This record gives sequence, C-alpha cells and structure tokens, in this order.
Amino acid sequence: MATVQVSEAEKVYILHGIRDDLRVDGRGCEDYRHMEIETDVVSNTDGSAKVTLGHTAVLVGIKAEIGKPRPMVPKEGYLEFFVDCSANATPEFEGRGGEELGTELSNTLYKVFNNKKSVDLRSLCISAGEHCWVLYVDVLLLQCDGNLYDAISIAIKAALFNTKIPRVHISSDDEGGKEIELSDDPYDCMRLNVENVPCIVTLCKVGHRYVVDATLQEKACSVASLIISVTHKGTVTCMRKVGGGSLDPESVYEMTEAGKRVGKTLHAPLMKLLQEEESLGTKRQKVGFLG
Amino acid sequence: MLKSKTFVKKTRSGGVMKIVREHYLRDDIWCGSEVCTECKQESTVLQRDACLESSLCSYPHYLIPDTNVVLHQIDVLEDPVIRNVIILQTVLQEVRHRSAPIYKRLKDIIHEKEKHFYTFTNEHHRETFIEREPGESANDRNDRAIRVASKWYSQHLKTSKSDAEGLKVVLLTNDSGNKQKAEESGLLVYKCEEYIKSLIANPELVDRLALSNDDKNEITASKVLFPEHLPLSRIQAGIKSGSFLQGTFRASRDNYLEATVFVQGEGEDSKEVLLQGLQNLNRAVHQDVVAVQLLPRNEWVAPSSVVLQDEGAAKDDEAEEEEEEKALRISAAEAARKPTGKVVGIIKRSWRPFCGMLNLSQIKESTRHLFTPADRRIPRIRIETRQAATLAGQRIMVAIDGWPKNSRYPNGHFVRSLGSAGEKDTEQEVLLLEHDVPHQAFSQAVLSFLPKMPWGITPEDMVRREDLRQLTVCSVDPPGCTDIDDALHCRELDNGNLEVGVHIADVSHFIRPGNALDKEAANRGTTVYLCGKRIDMVPELLSSNLCSLRSNVERLAFSCIWEINHQAEILKTRFTKSVINSKASLTYAEAQMRIDDTSKNDDITKSLRGLNKLAKILKRRRIEKGALTLSSLEVRFHIDSETHDPIDLQTKELMETNSMVEEFMLLANISVAQKIYDEFPDCAMLRKHPAPPPSNYDILLKAAKSKEVNIHTDSAKALADSLDVAKVDGFPYFNTLLRILATRCMMQAVYFCSGMDSDFHHYGLASPIYTHFTSPIRRYADIIVHRLLAVAIGADSTYPDLMDKHKQSALSNNLNYRHKMSQYAQRASVAFHTQLFFKSRGILNEEGFVLFVRKNAIIVLIPKFGLEGTVFFDSKDKAGPNLVFDEEGPTLTIEQHTFHIFDKVKVTISLDDSNIQHQKIRMALIDPVIPGVSVAVPEIEPQAKKPKLDR
Repeated sequence: MATVQVSEAEKVYILHGIRDDLRVDGRGCEDYRHMEIETDVVSNTDGSAKVTLGHTAVLVGIKAEIGKPRPMVPKEGYLEFFVDCSANATPEFEGRGGEELGTELSNTLYKVFNNKKSVDLRSLCISAGEHCWVLYVDVLLLQCDGNLYDAISIAIKAALFNTKIPRVHISSDDEGGKEIELSDDPYDCMRLNVENVPCIVTLCKVGHRYVVDATLQEKACSVASLIISVTHKGTVTCMRKVGGGSLDPESVYEMTEAGKRVGKTLHAPLMKLLQEEESLGTKRQKVGFLG
Repeated sequence: MLKSKTFVKKTRSGGVMKIVREHYLRDDIWCGSEVCTECKQESTVLQRDACLESSLCSYPHYLIPDTNVVLHQIDVLEDPVIRNVIILQTVLQEVRHRSAPIYKRLKDIIHEKEKHFYTFTNEHHRETFIEREPGESANDRNDRAIRVASKWYSQHLKTSKSDAEGLKVVLLTNDSGNKQKAEESGLLVYKCEEYIKSLIANPELVDRLALSNDDKNEITASKVLFPEHLPLSRIQAGIKSGSFLQGTFRASRDNYLEATVFVQGEGEDSKEVLLQGLQNLNRAVHQDVVAVQLLPRNEWVAPSSVVLQDEGAAKDDEAEEEEEEKALRISAAEAARKPTGKVVGIIKRSWRPFCGMLNLSQIKESTRHLFTPADRRIPRIRIETRQAATLAGQRIMVAIDGWPKNSRYPNGHFVRSLGSAGEKDTEQEVLLLEHDVPHQAFSQAVLSFLPKMPWGITPEDMVRREDLRQLTVCSVDPPGCTDIDDALHCRELDNGNLEVGVHIADVSHFIRPGNALDKEAANRGTTVYLCGKRIDMVPELLSSNLCSLRSNVERLAFSCIWEINHQAEILKTRFTKSVINSKASLTYAEAQMRIDDTSKNDDITKSLRGLNKLAKILKRRRIEKGALTLSSLEVRFHIDSETHDPIDLQTKELMETNSMVEEFMLLANISVAQKIYDEFPDCAMLRKHPAPPPSNYDILLKAAKSKEVNIHTDSAKALADSLDVAKVDGFPYFNTLLRILATRCMMQAVYFCSGMDSDFHHYGLASPIYTHFTSPIRRYADIIVHRLLAVAIGADSTYPDLMDKHKQSALSNNLNYRHKMSQYAQRASVAFHTQLFFKSRGILNEEGFVLFVRKNAIIVLIPKFGLEGTVFFDSKDKAGPNLVFDEEGPTLTIEQHTFHIFDKVKVTISLDDSNIQHQKIRMALIDPVIPGVSVAVPEIEPQAKKPKLDR
C-alpha cells in the first residue's frame, strides 16, 4: 500500500484539524472527495466502469462466461474477483509488489459481493447444475491516493449495473442433450438487479475521531480502520478491521453507526447518476481515459 | 472515424464470447460514376450514358440489386445486357455468406470490364454506415443499409453538378416490405421481375428469371401430385433409427418411371432399392441424395424391361400417366422381385445446369414450354420463355429452380444457348458438358509451369539419366498420332540374348508435384479423344512436343529394359531414366509393311521383327494363362479434310503390329506394377479388374444355350477356352457376337491404392498385378506410377502426398470417375458422328443380328457399322401387335414370329430428324416380314411411313 512520510508536526496538525471536524483539504469528517463515474468504458467487456475519487482511479471490467455451477449451490451463478495492482498506480507495485494487496482486496470483495443477498445469483443460473453465468470481475488500479475499497466498491456496483449478459435459450434435442442457443440480436440481453449491491465505507480512526475517505496523509496518522459494507437501506453486510492498532468497542459501535449513515447517503445519488447516464443511450459523449 | 461492431459468438466448447471489432469509417470512398465531379476518383466504372431501354425507367439509371435478387437472379445479372450495376458491400458480404458459388460468379462479373459493375463499400462510408438498432433483425438492418446507400447515391448523383441530368439509381428488390419502406423514403424501387419485364429491347432476359416460389400461378394449380418431402430433422431421425435409408438416386436411362437408389452400406452391405412410379420417385432427380422408405414386402416389384420414354407435349392430365404406370405393374415372377421403396425426402440436391432442347408448347402464344434434357435420366423441365421460336432447334442450358408438389415437372429457367442443334461444335460442347469433362483452355497459372522455349536437354538433366541416344528406338502408333508416349527397341546382345526396351515419355520430369499444372492434370485425369478432337490432359506444348517421343529429336524418357532370351523368358529387368533419340515414328500399317517386306534389312526393321517374334510368344503364353480376348466393335470415321464431316465409317482393323506394341506395353506395366508394389506395399497405385459375379453371365449363358453352345464361366481360363470353341456352322459371326456379349458381362477395371485393398487380380489380363505406366501423356495414373518408380530407383525425390494412402485413394476415385466419363463422352461422340454419317447417306438397308430381346423391342447390331439400334414393336397411337415376352429365352413372340438372341434380321436404317429434340438412328424391320410390324423395303419418304415409332 502506498504510504507517505508524514512528520510529527504535520501529524499534530492533521489530528487537531480532525478533532475540530476540519480536515486539511477543507472537508468535514464524513465527506467524500470529488468523485467521477463513467460506465461502459471498455467495449469488449460485458460491463465496465471507471471511478476516480480524488486522485484514486480504478477501472472495473466484468466479463460474463458460461461455467458450471458450484455443486453446493446448483441453482446459482457466482462471481470471481481479480485485482490487478498495476505498477502504474504506484512504483511500489512493481514486480510482485502489488500481489499481496491484490489478494487481500479480492478476498474482501469476494466476501462482500458474492452472496445472494447482494447480487441475485439465481438470475445467473442457466440450467440448474449444468450451466450458469460466471461473472469475472477484474479490477485494475490505475492510481492510488487512499481509500481504495470505497472506490472499488462503487466501481463494481456501477459496472454490475452496466453489465449486459447475452440472453441464451436452452434447447433440447431428441436424445435429451441440451444445447445453448444464442439470441441473434445483440440488443437482446439480460440486466442485473443491483439494488441490493452494497458499497464499502472505510472509516479511519484518527485520534479519538474517525474520518471517511481518508487521504494518504490522514491514513498515515491513523492506527486502524474499519471497513463496512452497507446496502442502500443502511444494512451492514460485512465488517472488517484493518491496520495494526486496536479499536475499543465503543468506537467500533460509533464508527458502525457513522458508516451506516454515510453509506445510505452514498447509494441514492449513485443510482440516480447511473440511471441518468443509461438514459442518454448512444447519445452520450464518452469521456474515456483521455478526457 | 472509429466505430465498433459488437457481436456475441458461441465458441466450440460451448462458451459464449463477446467479440468487438474495430470498424473505421472513411470519407474517401468514391461513387465510381463517370458523371460525378465531387469524388476524386482516378478511374470510374459506371458509365455516363447508362441507358437500358426500359418502359419503367426511360432515363439513364444505375441498378442496385439487393441480396436476394443477386442470389436468385444471378443468371440475369450475368447477361451482357445488364450493365452499370452497383453492388453494395452489404450485398456482397451477404451473398458470400449464403452461397459460395454465386459469390464466385458475382466476383467474376465484377471483374469483367465490359459489365461496369461497381462495388461500393457502403459499410465503411461515413455517410452510409448504419448501426443495428434495438429490436432490428440482422436482415432488416442489412435492408436498411441497402436503402440508406441507395438514398445516398440518388442524392449524391443529384448534387454532383453535371450535365447528365436525370441519372438515377433504381433499387431492385423482391421483398415487398423492403420495397414499401424504400418507396416511403422516396427511392425508385422495382421488383426484379417487374424491371426485367420492362426491358422492351431485350425480351429474352425474361426467360432467365428464376421462378420464385410464391408465384401466383402456382397457387391456382391446385392438384397436389406428389407427397410432401419430410423435413431434414425427421429424415435424420429416421435414418438413425433405420426406418429410412440414405442413398444416391439413379434414374433409369430406359424408363422414366423407374429408378434405383444405391444405399452404401458397410462392406458387403450395400444394396439397391428399386423405385417405381412418379409418386414413389417423388420429385427426386438423378444423382440427388435421397432418403427412401422400403415398402412392405408384398408391394415389392421387379424391374420392368419395358422401354418407356416421357413422351410428347406437356400433358397435365394424368390419365395417360396412370396407364403407363400400369404397364409397369405387370406382375413379375416372385423371385425377380427386388426391395422396393419410395422417396420420403431429399437430403441433397445435385442440380446443375442441364443441356438439352426445348419442346415447343402446342399453344402458339404460350410462354411456358417444356425442356427436354439431353440426358434421358433427367426429367423434363418447365421453363418460361418468350423467345421459344428462336430457341427451338438450339441446344440450350437450363437450370432447375424447384419442383413444387403440385407440378408434374420441375420448374426452371433458361441459362444460355449453346448453338444450333446438330452442329458439330454445339453437339461437342453438349457432350463435354454432359459428361463433366473439363475442357476449358488451360489457365495462365497452369501454363506458367511449362518449360521455357526453346527447350533443350541440359547437363543437369543428364546427371541421373542413361544416355540411350545411340539405340535404334522407334515408335509405332495409329496414323495422325501426335502424342507419342511410347517407343521400343530390340537388339541382339553379345551373349545371344535379346535386349528389349520400352521407353515412355518422362512426363513426371516436366510436371512437378503440387503445382498448378499438376493439380490441373490430376483433376482432368485423362485425355479425352472425341472424333476429330482431343481434349488434352496436359497443355499441348508437352503433349505434342516436349513429351512426345517424335523421331529424330532428343527426348527424355523413362525406360524399362529387359534381357530376354529367344524363348521370350525374361532374364533381367531394369528401370532407368534416360535420353533417347527415336529413329522413326511409324504407323501400325507402316511397321507391318516393314516386317513383311523381306527386301528391307535395316536396323529398324530388324528390331521390329525381333519385337514381333517375341510378342507372338508372349501373347500365346498369356492366352494360355487365361487372358481373355474380348471383342467390341470400334468404329473409325473417314473424315472429310475440308468439312470435317464423316464420309465413311468402318470398324477398326487390328494388325499384328497392334498386338506387338500392346504386348510390350502389358509387359512393362506388369514389371513396373511388381516393382512399385515391392517398394511401396502401402501406396502403390495399381489397376485391378475384378472377376464379375456369376449372375452377370446369365444373359451370355442363355444366349449361348439357345444355339446349343455351352460356355463355362468358372474362371477366366474356362471362359476363354469355351469362347474359343464356341462355333456354329454356317454362322461365322456367331463367335464375335458371343465375345461382344461377354464383354458386356465384365466389370469395370479400376485404379486403386494397394494399401486400401487386398484383391489385386486383373481378370481380363489374367495377371496377379497390373498398373498403368505406359501413357503418362494422356493418363494421370501413369504420372503417379512414374513418380513412384522414380523414387524406387532413386532417380527422384518423394513428397508427402505420394506416400499417403488416403490421398492416393481419393485420387484414384477421381481418376476412375474421369476415365468412365471420358469413355461415355467418347461413345457419345461416336454416336453423334454416326448420325452425321447417316444423315449424309440417307436410308440404308442392312443386315444385322439381334443382340438383346426386350419386352417391347429388340436391340439389333449392324456389324458393318458397329452400330446398335432398337427396333420398337409397340407404339402409342395404334393398337400394338400381339407381343409375348418369355424371360427364360429370352424370346419375344410377335404375332407368329419369335425373335431369339442372335437371329439374323434385315433392317432399314435412317436418321430420324423429324424430331430435332433427339436426332437418332432409326431402325425398322424389313425381314422377317411380320404383317403390321415390319415395313416394306423403303424407297420413298421414310418419315411418313413410320410415325412415332421410336421418337
């Protein structure tokens, strides 16, 4: 993880600021940085989204492929995650430097998203026990400026919203063999219901208080952070503590409450934005990576 | 400008892939029109004055056909009249996707300069590219693309400021939905039929229109004549479960209501299923792959021996039909019944354009006519034409479009005219086309592999060759032969033995494996000799010059040299590539004269005498071993050197020298066969002649028995011996007739790959192994054998295909097919020239012999001309004489007279040209005199006397 060197004086300055609900860049403790979202940015995926949060930039692409359902849940499809920490994001990722972080991120994402409460996995089933859609979610970190989890989760939600899975029909021939038939119309595709897909809110404990969407400097001042995934209703679906320090139960409770609050307010504008963009259809001017 | 094309594809492993292709749009795609001033094109394709006299479009115009118009009406588009056509890329791609042969034809048209066909890449043009919209099918999208491009053209041509005002584009489509939409957007659009019919100046084009299925006329013809064909899925299920059989449909040549389906089984399981009656034939056409269902055993029938030809004018009333079918049903002996079935579906049509002639409809104004194909196995085809009057008397080609179940005949359309019937060139073209003989001129690619002239033998050529130029080699061939592929020599060695050499043109030196020349030769398979014309397998430079072993020039050869003692026992055999210099090219007659002329004593003559002496011994020994001497009459025409018409015809004479050359060729072939089989037991190309099954001999045995002669058919030797002693006093021609019959019993000799078969025996030659080595100029098999032998003696290198037995096997199948077709073509050519001959000779009365007896006819052989003809005894229009057919004889009793095989009869021969559909030799009986059947010795107009006897 990218780190910055912060001097003692700076730390004190940041700590004092946060105590007074005034962060270095002028935000309050529960405010996010400027965020930009664009979907359908990679044409050869089935769904994609690019999210920038401050200087953090992530790209998520989703490919749908036909696979075999897991034996325990024959009527459900599943998701697979892979996080690529490109050395573009920070020189520390060079070589195998980003591997550990990548695995950690993808494990967390798997826990958060791959369950039928979050994504309607049943709709991914084609024929029980035989065929289902597997969504390969590939996350590419383009730039790291803190708060990766939140950015990634928003990008995944946007990409899932954008995902168009070709509609298939199962035809059976005389001997009972089943064959998958593709629709001839490229516009004939299935969309996912992303209503219940959670977003992750990371809260960093700095001093006695906590902040949302910490920058790298703030992160350097924090001892521990709490990752909370929250649905649009404010339900917490997953929680994890990262970082070396400890959290007392009281602040865990406080931070959870704050996470719920922030998460709930995050979902509504996100969905509105995505729907607005979708309604533009082909008239939308794509920004892409150079914009 | 960049767009992307996205589509989803199923992978072979069952996955689904989204594929995105980049698609660039440009603004530098020009319109190709001469009138355009905006486009910066260097050359234009579409003309300024694109005038076609049409009653719909009086202004100059360009045509834009849609995909279906191209697919169905390619014959129309190919017509030279149709010019200035814009082929959109959308159309081109769709055509390519749907039909490879039509795509090829379309490309050919586009490349033809005079046709002014322009391909407009509308899919990459910035203004004509469209993206598929939600809910739009791929076809709708393409239709829209075509409309958009047409729209663009019409506006583009209008805006280009030019004097040629009024130049418009006309969209041709047969899809009414598309047409309506195009009209709504203000385009000029016509149905293809509509437009073609409006071309006042060229009414003949209408005939080339393919009849579309939804033609309104069809609906009125209500009566359903045929059972519906089953859909392919049900056919496949039926074949799998064994209720249907799959096979190739073979129509009978003699009886249009009868056919067989050859069902290929595993090993010996192949069988033939008989089909009888129009209902059961169910619209199958010769060579189609069909599914048949066997009838219950009590409905099985025997093949009828009636000769039935589909007669006269288009009869749409079925009354007659049923009667004809009844004629078939005459119950046959239980034993003769064969598995009988009916066609339930067609798996694959093998329709091609057929040659033939038009039967004019009796109604004068009618545009619907029947077309009679030259091949009798093909049903007659109904076509629509307004130029019937011009087409009558011409050989034309017609393609079948379809065969609806309520139509007695298939529907087709006119493709092209080959020329007047009866003209030599036309007829030759017809018979080459009908026999699938590749006869186009050699392509540039093929010719590029020919050696550069002047050609000479280089020192490199000599490295692995023996110099045999000093030997007294000579060639003996029929007169006028220019492709000399064999030469011989014989000389006495110091030890008293003889050295005999057979030198074969080294064609494989010039034709290297795998190049275009080699592929073309492999496809052609054989040179086809027609009367007065030769269709070469290899280009003339090779066949008549560089490979031909002409006298007094140095030529490359592949030699087979034996040391033989005076008892004609082979002591040593060797093979070598060589260089020879033939000292003389003789004809058979010349060689014979030299041998007989005792005053001549030069080297050539001595050599010939030595060869002749050895050949006689070899022949005797071969016959002792049981080789068959069979007979078939070969006819030779004396052709007028000016008009190329035949002026006389005689059966070919055989001389001693013929058999001398033959004997050594056999010897060389056998020696080579042994050698290549020893070297390459898995991939030697050999030739076998299987022993015929005993049932084949039935007709021969019956015939011989009628003259109280016994023929033994247990082995080739027994057959040969019994044929030798089969003589009837006072009937000297009997033996020849028997041999002719015996020839008909034989199987066809075939090429095969030694690794794919275990039976190598050559029945006719009584040789355990045989191949073809001695005529590489005119047979491709010999080239392969040359290559194998060259590898075996280390004179050449091998290549993978040569050692691949499956490829060899496939090749030999093609060679067998080409060989068979070339023989048919040859026979057809002889038949045609015989007709020409009789046309010039008028009526002749000749003696002949009955060769076969049929239910309603006898087949008569005229030995003088080697001509066979049928004398029919029943005719349609009058009550036929009383016919009693006895299958056991077989004999045919007419009134009081009984015909047996070999009966001597007298017939009158004339050319029947009253019906130019099928000119043919007509025979009618003169002697024996049977009242009401035979005719008087004719001196007067013959046509009037025997109407419709054997039309």
